[in-house]
Amino acid sequence: MTDRSTLLSLSRRRLLLTASALTAAALVATTGLEPTLAADSPKEGGDITFLIDSLGDTWIPNNSAISSFQGHIWGHVTDKLLYVDAEGKVSPWLVERWAQNDNATEFTLHLKQGVTFSDGEPLDSKAVVANLDIWYAGRKNEGINPIGLFPKTYDRAEAVDAATVKVFFKKPTLGFLPTLGYHGSILTSPKSIAQPASVQADLSKTAGSGPYVVESWKEGDHVTLVKRKDYNWGPAAVGHTGPAFLDTITYKLVSEPSLRVASVQSGQADVAYNASPQELKSLKDEGFTVATPRYLGFVNGWAVNTKLPPYDDVKVRQALQAGINRQEIIDTVYTPDWHLATSFIQSNVPGATDQSALLAYDPAKAEKLLDEAGWVKGANGIRTKDGKELSLTLHSNPYLATSKSVDELIAQQLGRIGWKVVIRAYDVVTYGEKVKFGGAAVPTYEVTRSFIDAGTVAGILTNANNGENWFALDDRDTKINDLRDKIAGAGSIEERSPLLNDLQKYVLDQGYFIPRTQIVQRIYVQAPTLKGEVYNGVAYASYYTAFIAD
Amino acid sequence: MSFVSNSPLSGTANTGRLTALRMPATVALSFAIIAIILAWSLAPQFFTTYSPVVGVPADKFLGPSFSHWFGTDHLGRDLYARVVYGTASSVSSALVAVVIGVLFGGLIGLLAGFLGGWVDVVLARLVDVLLSIPKFLLAVIVVTAIGFETINAAIATGVSAVAFFARVTRSEVIKTRQATFVEASYLSGGSRWYILLRHVLPNASRSVLPLAVLQFGESILIIASLAFLGYGDPPPASDWGLLISIGKDYLKWPWLVYAPAFVTIVTVLSVNRISRWLRKTD
Amino acid sequence: MSNAYLTYAAKRLGQAVVVILLAYVFTFVVVSILPGDPITSVLRNPQNGFSEQEIAEIIAAQGLDKPVPVQLWNALSGFLTGDLGMSMRSNRPVSTLIAEVLPSTLILAGAGLAVALVLAMLVAYGTRFVPKKYGQGLLRGFPSLFLSVPNFVIGLVLIHLFGFQLGLFRVINPDSFWATLFAAVALGIPVSAQIAEVLIANLDKEAEQEYATVARSRGIGQLKLFIRHLLKPASLPVVTVIALTIGELLGGSLITETVFGRTGVGSLVQRSVSTQDLPVLQAIVSLGAVVFVLVNLIADLLYPLLDPRVKILGGAKRRPTTTDEPSLGSAKAVNP
Repeated sequence: MTDRSTLLSLSRRRLLLTASALTAAALVATTGLEPTLAADSPKEGGDITFLIDSLGDTWIPNNSAISSFQGHIWGHVTDKLLYVDAEGKVSPWLVERWAQNDNATEFTLHLKQGVTFSDGEPLDSKAVVANLDIWYAGRKNEGINPIGLFPKTYDRAEAVDAATVKVFFKKPTLGFLPTLGYHGSILTSPKSIAQPASVQADLSKTAGSGPYVVESWKEGDHVTLVKRKDYNWGPAAVGHTGPAFLDTITYKLVSEPSLRVASVQSGQADVAYNASPQELKSLKDEGFTVATPRYLGFVNGWAVNTKLPPYDDVKVRQALQAGINRQEIIDTVYTPDWHLATSFIQSNVPGATDQSALLAYDPAKAEKLLDEAGWVKGANGIRTKDGKELSLTLHSNPYLATSKSVDELIAQQLGRIGWKVVIRAYDVVTYGEKVKFGGAAVPTYEVTRSFIDAGTVAGILTNANNGENWFALDDRDTKINDLRDKIAGAGSIEERSPLLNDLQKYVLDQGYFIPRTQIVQRIYVQAPTLKGEVYNGVAYASYYTAFIAD
Repeated sequence: MSFVSNSPLSGTANTGRLTALRMPATVALSFAIIAIILAWSLAPQFFTTYSPVVGVPADKFLGPSFSHWFGTDHLGRDLYARVVYGTASSVSSALVAVVIGVLFGGLIGLLAGFLGGWVDVVLARLVDVLLSIPKFLLAVIVVTAIGFETINAAIATGVSAVAFFARVTRSEVIKTRQATFVEASYLSGGSRWYILLRHVLPNASRSVLPLAVLQFGESILIIASLAFLGYGDPPPASDWGLLISIGKDYLKWPWLVYAPAFVTIVTVLSVNRISRWLRKTD
Repeated sequence: MSNAYLTYAAKRLGQAVVVILLAYVFTFVVVSILPGDPITSVLRNPQNGFSEQEIAEIIAAQGLDKPVPVQLWNALSGFLTGDLGMSMRSNRPVSTLIAEVLPSTLILAGAGLAVALVLAMLVAYGTRFVPKKYGQGLLRGFPSLFLSVPNFVIGLVLIHLFGFQLGLFRVINPDSFWATLFAAVALGIPVSAQIAEVLIANLDKEAEQEYATVARSRGIGQLKLFIRHLLKPASLPVVTVIALTIGELLGGSLITETVFGRTGVGSLVQRSVSTQDLPVLQAIVSLGAVVFVLVNLIADLLYPLLDPRVKILGGAKRRPTTTDEPSLGSAKAVNP
């Protein structure tokens, strides 16, 4: 608990970074300790089996760290420089203290000492520089990709002494520190980094500094992790820094969701990942722990292509916004564990504001807007204008298992007010090729995306600085570009918050973004005896603090 | 094998013709089932008042009852209606597969068997290549290349059957060509094409027909298997294989698997029975 | 073995090599039709946040922007020198990947074949020994029924009945004895139908034939008669069918492994197909072709040993059932 004061004073230095560093530190000190304090005292020992639907593709750390599947293993095998919790608060981990210059182009990181990788290498300033370099650049000709979300403004990093690293950027980069706590930024041994891609692809040959090490693995089958006994540098925010309690964690691939759940129900396994939402209620009734943590990011919804008729008409977009019964989606496809969207960013993101009024289900209003826009209902119930049907092609997001069901339900809802909805479902590969923001045949792009800091949102939505131009607006909408520039230039949270509020209101009112529900991309069903796990800002479960209660 | 053992040369051929007139009860039942299946696919609206696409979300996961014969699914849609409306696509995709297999396979076999020589050699290697890849693996690879849709699964299934029909047709053609009446026709100056159309084709098609019927049943299963692995149409399509595949995600409500599986099994069983009967009577 | 036979064998071997190479090229062309590959799809995962420009750079660095013929030539020359290449998806050598999964699939296929044989024999014996009025007709209907049930349905039912209701095996440990046995049952049932059909048809035929009646008049016991005079000759075509069902077993493992959660060649194919991992697919298809060709060659060699009535005449005469005859009419593989 001596950490508390340093945490507080550190947080003040970097007021700009997170929502409110003061409350953040206070919250870390109170709620952060909850997992272990709330339950009975943790018991040493025990083995758990975690059933997962896939173990992803490659194990090259750079290429796999952000994968929805491998991220679980990396989270136990490796550490990060900073910790980001479920509310987006940044706190120290392997970086104990940090400082930055006024225009956020230079950062000094002070490392915790005595940390080692599982291959015996020290985690010192040289190791950190090697990691920063490979995150930024990768080794493209070898097949080692850069980390896509790492700031492109990175210039270089220098080891000042064994425990101090200085990082330089070409332009102000406020997002740098939160990036260090993100799932892509995992620290691996410099020896592992130097290995060629084919060696890095063998999980057992990569050394991290995490509380677990890989004992055995087989591709497409399982990964077994075993506790590292000399580990004592866990993040203070989770309330425990010593070795983990559980002896082993086995991640076992079972591709059928119903089999994963049935195995946990019959006591053959401890955790089932990505259960079907429909089964959660009865599981809860049977006494199983059901966790539906939300990540920090956009809600699940559509970015509308404003170049593609009829979605260039604001009235049609607004009709779409009012024509979706979001409560029915939650009632039918999901459970009450899912939250109604209140904006286009998740409500747990610092800076999100409640715009529910703009998202109310109002079919009468939707029909009126469509009438006004000149779309007339025909005999078959489908609206037409100038001989063209009012159609909407949905491309179900292959990264979200429930996407197809939601699409089907929305198709029924929109069908009632005269929309002809066609659903296309591609596999991940084809989807990546054919479905893009603002694509010629893509009226709505279904978003599932986490982000680091709400301040980056405006940049993603528009085309500035290689932004992703989600609504294909280019430079046509001066208001949104104006807001973007103001947000980028805001000097404090207080200055930025009202601007973010304006942005959310404007984007939703214009029907640029059509939210569906707040997203839960990771669903955990857990045996009642397993307690004390912690979920981080990207909704990964960490069993570092978990134990088996009697 | 029974194809060989039941060839017209065997002593049972004459009695076979007689029993043909007295159709066994199981065959009659099979025809009745196929008739219903065809009716479902041609005019589904006469068999159910429910919509296969629009459901009542509040009525999800109801068990089978008088109002919902097969129960309801995860979006509150009547499963019986989904099965009935999915019939057209299931049946027509299997038909497409058979047509592709028989047409292309038949053409290859006909050319190889009738022309012989280097044509035969080249086509034989082509058929060997197709044969050397396990059929289902071949179907999976082809459907991956042309995209995950039911029609593409049908094409892939058809492609995987080409080699089989090519071989059957080839050997039938060779057999017929060597038969005495064809030799005689040659000697009496009949043209090649005349002989092909008059003698070879009818003979070959007579043996291919029961196999094509059998292939129809097999195609239903292969397409269902492809759908099970996720290579089928997007929602709200309700092909039988897709329904089973969706149902397996909700095993707490077992009718979602068993009802479409039952319909599939009964249909394929009927088709197989008819094929067997055709071979016996031919 | 005569000289003529050896010439014939050499010719067949040559043909086999051509077939394997063509199968390799065929797979390459078919999979190359669609744009997309594992590397791009990882880059395009929206969570990754790569820009189009970065994606293009990485693709170029990997040589994936080269024209298809060049890529084919590179792959083929590697294949000919015994190098199966690297998996694009997992960045590991293809040979390692296949070596990892092969034992599991061989065990499953072997067990599946054993189950199929036992089942087929039981059904075939049954039709001999069960009198007409006690359900012989029903037994004769079994193969047809087995061929009509999708094997993923069999798998799902077995898992829920024996895995969860009776607790005979743990679904998360699919390599255990019971789990393997039930997977083998799911895989073996459709295959058993094909073998049983052939067995029954041939038993019927042989029974009609003279020497069986002669033997019976000599007063040989039913069982002895069955084994000595009926089962042995009837097993000839069965050898052929088994050779052909190897492909079915490999194809069927794709679904059975998925349903039972086994890690084998089938699940590797599925993972490779879903990411279009060309090198892995090609290696597996070529491997399948090699197995197919070898097994059929062995069947060719076994045939004359089993039946002295089949003579090798100047190498031209082979076992009469596989390559040229449409004999698989009734024994056609229905389930994948």
